[in-house]
Amino acid sequence: MTVTDATGAETALGSGGSETEGGNQRVMILVEKYALVGLFVVMMLFFTFWSKTSHTFPTRANIKNVLGNQAVIGILAMAIIIPLVCGEFDFSVGSVAGLSQVLCAGFMSRLGAPWPVAVGLAILIGAAIGLSNGNTVARVGVNSLIVTLGIATVLVGVVEWYTKGLSIINRISPSLVHLGTGDWLGIPRTVYYLALVAALVYYMLEHTPYGRYLHSIGSNSDAARLVGLRVERLVLISFVLSGALAGLAGVMLVARNGGASPQLGTVSDTLQALSAAFLGATAIKPGRFNVLGTIVAIFFLAFSVTGLSLAGVANWINDVFNGAALFVAVLISTIIGRRRAGVA
Amino acid sequence: MPEADGRTGDSPLTSQAGPGMAAAPTHSSALRISHISKTFPGTRALDDVSFDIAPGQIHALLGGNGSGKSTLIKILAGVYRGDPGGTFVIGDREIPSDKTAPELARAAGLRFVHQNPAVFPALSVAENIAIGTGFEKMGGSTINWKALRRRTSALLERYDIKASPHTLMRSLRPAERAMVAIARALQDQDEDEKGVLVLDEPTASLPRAEVVRLMLALARYARDGQTILFISHRLDEVIEAADQATVLRDGRYAGTVVGDEITEPNLISLIVGRALDRVFPDMPEVTSTEVALEVRHASGGPLRDVSFQLRKGEVLGIAGLLGSGRSELLKMIFGAYQMRGGEIVLQGTRQHFHHIGEAMRAGVAYVPEDRPGEAAFGDMSVSENFSAALVSRYWSGGRLHHGRADADARQSIKDFFVRTGNERQPLNTLSGGNQQKVILARWLKRQPKILLLDEPTQGVDVNARAEIYSIVSDAVAAGCSVLLVTSDFEELSRVSDRVIVLSQGRITGELHAPDIDPIRLTELAFSTQEAAV
Repeated sequence: MTVTDATGAETALGSGGSETEGGNQRVMILVEKYALVGLFVVMMLFFTFWSKTSHTFPTRANIKNVLGNQAVIGILAMAIIIPLVCGEFDFSVGSVAGLSQVLCAGFMSRLGAPWPVAVGLAILIGAAIGLSNGNTVARVGVNSLIVTLGIATVLVGVVEWYTKGLSIINRISPSLVHLGTGDWLGIPRTVYYLALVAALVYYMLEHTPYGRYLHSIGSNSDAARLVGLRVERLVLISFVLSGALAGLAGVMLVARNGGASPQLGTVSDTLQALSAAFLGATAIKPGRFNVLGTIVAIFFLAFSVTGLSLAGVANWINDVFNGAALFVAVLISTIIGRRRAGVA
Repeated sequence: MPEADGRTGDSPLTSQAGPGMAAAPTHSSALRISHISKTFPGTRALDDVSFDIAPGQIHALLGGNGSGKSTLIKILAGVYRGDPGGTFVIGDREIPSDKTAPELARAAGLRFVHQNPAVFPALSVAENIAIGTGFEKMGGSTINWKALRRRTSALLERYDIKASPHTLMRSLRPAERAMVAIARALQDQDEDEKGVLVLDEPTASLPRAEVVRLMLALARYARDGQTILFISHRLDEVIEAADQATVLRDGRYAGTVVGDEITEPNLISLIVGRALDRVFPDMPEVTSTEVALEVRHASGGPLRDVSFQLRKGEVLGIAGLLGSGRSELLKMIFGAYQMRGGEIVLQGTRQHFHHIGEAMRAGVAYVPEDRPGEAAFGDMSVSENFSAALVSRYWSGGRLHHGRADADARQSIKDFFVRTGNERQPLNTLSGGNQQKVILARWLKRQPKILLLDEPTQGVDVNARAEIYSIVSDAVAAGCSVLLVTSDFEELSRVSDRVIVLSQGRITGELHAPDIDPIRLTELAFSTQEAAV
């Protein structure tokens, strides 16, 4: 029985308020949107002028290095936000990248496959893992966090078995390595790939019906079903896309490093991507997982950590910083969410 | 027949004095509720409600949706605070109406069991009992299971529940589960100084046979001196079990009936009251003989062999209680509920929808009862909520035209009387009535042929209700047919061209305008026998 005696309780939330209140609200919204961008700028200025880092941080080499290295994490973050938008976790993106990496290298090194074939297969295998994840989550109805965490762990084992713990560096196609290293117009090539993927994901999430449907499912999946959306199918596709992008990230690891290492493409990469996604959801479009916010978040995290290590801070700071950022980001998103829902 | 109106300011008990009226002496009340009011912004949920509950009796509290009975219980429980000026007297304690708090209610001896009591099906009876008051400990923090079992056994015996402490909750019958929840609530009660047990619709989700068991148990507890206040929707159980029954209507005290006076006609006349002065628009006359929708022998879920026709431009009401199958019927037509047998014919074509999109394309629209759960995208904008069922309309040339959608939304805000700051605001910043208008508009923008409305005005104030019906009326004038479910039979009788009565999954009656009478509808909905009309 749904009892709705308290008719008036809801009307209390009605719009309105005095003019200054509206003005304050507008300012608050602006602050909310651009706080992370502002923080990013402040952080960059700080490391540029701080005496401990002023001679190492604002250099071309450092900036290029950070940009180039973050492209893979960036693509993983793009992979992870697609299911996140519809309310599902894909905890396997880092491990899928790890598997795709060793397979892509292995196909060339052990089977002598031409690089386009190796790349295509690696991405396809990523998509297939996504399909399996999506099927278990959307059709069987298992909690996505558990499913993908389980698969992630399995993949770590598979990578170990396939590589026997050794890197694969022989017979890697120089053409592929050429695509992954070096610059265009002074900017690392991988940055262009990230930009291209980000643009496509942005377009898909914000400017296609599919993106709108994912947002609707994330907002209220029962309501989404009752406006005619085929929720299961849409969620499943989001996992396939996520898997394929994670596969692409693995390929980029091979291209950038000229080989595959079982130490790369791990759960820790997933965590970094996840931190960025949640931190990104506090910026640009607060309360929503969004591409621009996520990109800002990735570079905010990466430059902060680099600045700190250039200042001679110990290595473990890296993990603490990423973890703390995830914690704070989720905290802020939850508070924003509660305020929007009128709870606070 | 009692005097049906207690709207005068003085004590309702004196103004209600008549045959069978409670002339309860004040000093012997277990709970005395006097002059309780509650104002929410825009509405008066309770208006000067007073009545007494005698000790050791089962006192039923009834009223339609929006009558204020839940608000009253929430104030009593300390969930809300009342407006200042009233008091609750419990035994020898007096609590001002604006000072209620959960701890105070507890200290005064009030015990509450809510509609869906928090029982844990996967835990044992003993664990469920302990979760209310804490586990027995031995020494440090180890649970003393033996002591807990002893205590649980004693409780089960005292409340005559056929279960053992280690039985899993989910293996109990529903009535027993409710009894465990009651025993849990009452376990720390003083044997000699019993307080008041308040049950909020304890039977709402119970099948008939279980209701009987639970009512028998309640009668036993009352004989042992327990005072019970229970809120109910079901007249039969009130007639069966209650010693007194108080009815609220539109936030006001409508009357109390006692003993033999608790009869169906008496209760119904108190619940329905005088004709409401709300204005419902006159729906356009049905002129077409074209059948828009025909349901033939539909079965599935609670529904048994339901058949009816809906003509073009007709408003067909469905009167039924919760659990009668009314919501399932609408969902079935929308392709959102499994149909076991029978068929649905739309405009002469047999339809079998595999998913909701097909029903939508065939011109069916559905506004669900549970707005927050099944209709609203609360954190998405008003504009996105308007266009949720026709996103593809804004997709062309490889992109979604957000600007065009927003422009349409601004127009819809005007057309559908939605009060909102702007179209970009999240939907859940709007009031319930305005959210409902957005959701109604979402579907009407598709120009449906069949509009299925499930409780379209629940939790909505009177003005929004009038606006919602004027919107529906326009759609009907344009040829849309409406299937309307609402618990407010007054509303149903005013808006519908024809009403079918659904009781326990079957159609048990049919009334035609202008002879649709809310009192008759209430009788039919509550009765289980087929009515010859």
